[in-house]
Amino acid sequence: MSTVGVSAGASQRLTAVETAVEQANPALSAQLAGNRLGRLFCLTLFTPIRPQWVPVLRAAFYLGKYVSLAQTHILQFNFIRFVRWTIVSPELPFNGAPQQRDKLKYHYLFFESNFDGPWQHYIDAFAYCIPMDIRFCWGRGFDFPAPPPSEPLKRWIAMNSLEGGSYYCAYEHASTRMVAGALTVRERFQTLVAESQQLDASAFKAKYEQFLTDVQGHL
Amino acid sequence: MGDRRNINGTTYALTVFTAIIPGHEKEVLAAIESVPRGAQSPLARLGTVHTSRLQIFDHLVHQGPSQSPDSLKSNYLVFTAAFDGELEPFLDSILDRIPEADGWWRHCVGYPGLSARAEFKRWIRHNQIHTSLFAVNSPNRSVSEVVESLALRDQVLEFAISAQGLDAAELQARFRHTFVEGK
Repeated sequence: MSTVGVSAGASQRLTAVETAVEQANPALSAQLAGNRLGRLFCLTLFTPIRPQWVPVLRAAFYLGKYVSLAQTHILQFNFIRFVRWTIVSPELPFNGAPQQRDKLKYHYLFFESNFDGPWQHYIDAFAYCIPMDIRFCWGRGFDFPAPPPSEPLKRWIAMNSLEGGSYYCAYEHASTRMVAGALTVRERFQTLVAESQQLDASAFKAKYEQFLTDVQGHL
Repeated sequence: MGDRRNINGTTYALTVFTAIIPGHEKEVLAAIESVPRGAQSPLARLGTVHTSRLQIFDHLVHQGPSQSPDSLKSNYLVFTAAFDGELEPFLDSILDRIPEADGWWRHCVGYPGLSARAEFKRWIRHNQIHTSLFAVNSPNRSVSEVVESLALRDQVLEFAISAQGLDAAELQARFRHTFVEGK
């Protein structure tokens, strides 16, 4: 239990330090607000796809939705909350004048990932654990630095990361792992509450202690 | 068919590109940077939005010598959101509960305003770009379920610390009082 207490305290102190830094520097705060909130970061990339690779990527994403192994593979890292890939056609949505119609030379890959930051750690994991996936998605782009190592990939992402704007998360102070853990605690807790109705005190105490043992890694 | 691609479990991934009226870029930037963060965000009012981002796309990054240079003729306000449920009720909830949305979208070409409900929905759908693949770490979990679970986790931890050393009868009584009768 004491380890849990230290962990929660460290998290609160980290948030307090971040808040203090951002309050002392409003310009920095505004810049960070675009892709960072609490524990969460948002990475947005918009990169051209080579024409011959568009149908391959489209087919792979189509299959990815229905092949559970693909999703499990993508989400093997427990710090990713949501991730989306969108193939954007060269002709962007047009609404008439005064908009000038955009007909780009390429299809583009819009990528958005919401994860527990910072993104440099996220990229290390990607570069060394799933380099083939990264190469498949972006490797047929232009001048892509295929990982590993991760440093050229980090430079490429820094170059392509679209910064600024405004970012929101409904539970920004919880890491993705904390969310998954809390959902597990809730499920087990509901079972404990249901069982507690029929148990005498000593049997309840045993169940309660078993519950704490089972969920202590999530508290 | 296209719409189903935006959905994973009970979560919908919306991506909308709307062209900014030429010369209005500063106003859009000011509008989106003034959106309050965290619990004060207008999106928090909906109670169904997991994450959302508003940002301006005003350039394309040239990848290097092997790419033919490409450029945007218009600048775009890009709105993304991951939310519970379907698009239609989400748009209704924006119309009903986020008047601030006028502040960022009124600088975009063709924006009909929140007062024109049907036109607003058509405009969003016209500018929507369907997701190719959407992956979710905890699928089929609503925002309220996540928030309640996080609160319960804290409550359980607090209870576990305070209940250390109680005998069986006291433990059961306090547990019932805290979590069963107190509900």
